[in-house]
Amino acid sequence: MTKYNIGILLILSLVGCMQSSNKTEKKITASGRQAVLPDKDSMPAESIFHLTDSFQTQENIPFTLSMLKGKPTVVGMIFTNCTYACPRLTADIKNIADSLKDEKEKVNFLLVSFDTKRDTPDRLKKFADEKGLNKNWILLHGSEYAVRTFSVLLNIQFEKDAEGNFSHSNLVSVLDKNGVLQYQKEGLGAVHTETITTIKKLIQQR
Amino acid sequence: MKYILTILLLTGCFDVSNAQQKKTVSFEKKMLKIPAGNYKPFFVTKSNKPIKVAAFKMDESAITNSEFLLFVTANPQWRKSKVNRLFADSNYLRDWESDLVIGKKNINIYNSPVVHVSWFAAQAYCKWKNKRLPTVAEWELAGNAAPKNIKYTSLTEYILGWYKKPNLPVLPNIKTTYQNVYGLYDMHGLIWEWTFNFNSFISSGDSRGNTEDELKAFCAAGAINVVDKTDYAGFLRFSYRGSLKGNYCIANLGFRCAKTIE
Repeated sequence: MTKYNIGILLILSLVGCMQSSNKTEKKITASGRQAVLPDKDSMPAESIFHLTDSFQTQENIPFTLSMLKGKPTVVGMIFTNCTYACPRLTADIKNIADSLKDEKEKVNFLLVSFDTKRDTPDRLKKFADEKGLNKNWILLHGSEYAVRTFSVLLNIQFEKDAEGNFSHSNLVSVLDKNGVLQYQKEGLGAVHTETITTIKKLIQQR
Repeated sequence: MKYILTILLLTGCFDVSNAQQKKTVSFEKKMLKIPAGNYKPFFVTKSNKPIKVAAFKMDESAITNSEFLLFVTANPQWRKSKVNRLFADSNYLRDWESDLVIGKKNINIYNSPVVHVSWFAAQAYCKWKNKRLPTVAEWELAGNAAPKNIKYTSLTEYILGWYKKPNLPVLPNIKTTYQNVYGLYDMHGLIWEWTFNFNSFISSGDSRGNTEDELKAFCAAGAINVVDKTDYAGFLRFSYRGSLKGNYCIANLGFRCAKTIE
């Protein structure tokens, strides 16, 4: 009898799981993007969309990387309590956006925070407002696990110190519309001519 | 007669369940409690305050090939032929004969640490066990504990002695080097181990300043920031970690898992 009950419980929980995963498929982002479940056959092996961890946007909406599909993405990793390097990295990416002029609508701008404790979606929203980052910008909060995995995929080194601040490499990365890393440039205030050329090329790519 | 049959059936059941229990028990890896402590970051940070490490649990030894085979069997996406190159390079499980066969010629390594595994694979294994990889701070804290069953002059000397030796053609089994005071086996002397945050930032000490240029200006300037300049073994360990990428699969690099104490 108990075995029977356990069996029913198992089935119920399985159904429950399936239902909840169905729900996640239908998550819609701020910009009306719909979550595309990674289609493993059509996705290039090197696509970072294979990372299925869930993040939250500055609008507190669940987000998986595969939602970036369809547009090239410019990526930076930051933390908002950072007083020197991160505003500069954000400014660098903003400059890239500005130099794309009308074409910037065809690009995602992604900032992922190292600071899983303090950079809540609300905090990221404030930061986005302060810096004048519009709807093309996605600021992500994630679990320690998801953020570390993301950093490993993009070869970005970072370390939290005893005060809760972060030492990190300053890297601007460019992904194509399928999530494959195409270009990286290290350094603050770097010359991004090549970055911009790469993005423009990727916009044209079908 | 019926009575006897029932008893037989019942004992049969018991036997099976007992056997199953035994099986699961033997595959369960022993974890040891590592007491809370302070870990002094190897590289000086702006504040250079020791990092507090809470008590945690750690596998007593590295994950073996046999143990990893169970993981690969249960998780087809981590088999040699199926794994995504983004998550493991082409050296993944190089010595194994095939997806689910370690191989007869490898009979001596069934109980040796699994190597040629990527960080992503190690992460996935620990997650599957409901564990996680230890952080650098946790690993270093646990690894710095004194050996209890070997004669040695200093741990650094012992480790450097091991670094000096070339890789053996066949990797020895686990529990063949030494046990430290926490009870952990082979923290040094057998393999290098993955840590959760192996990609920590080490080349600059200040999160805000661009001190890179300064460091680049002097050949050995990176070492000026080091806490204990005599800890050459630690220096090698940190440079080694700094040279890794998440999908690298290397001959002498394996892992063990840790667990937070709730």
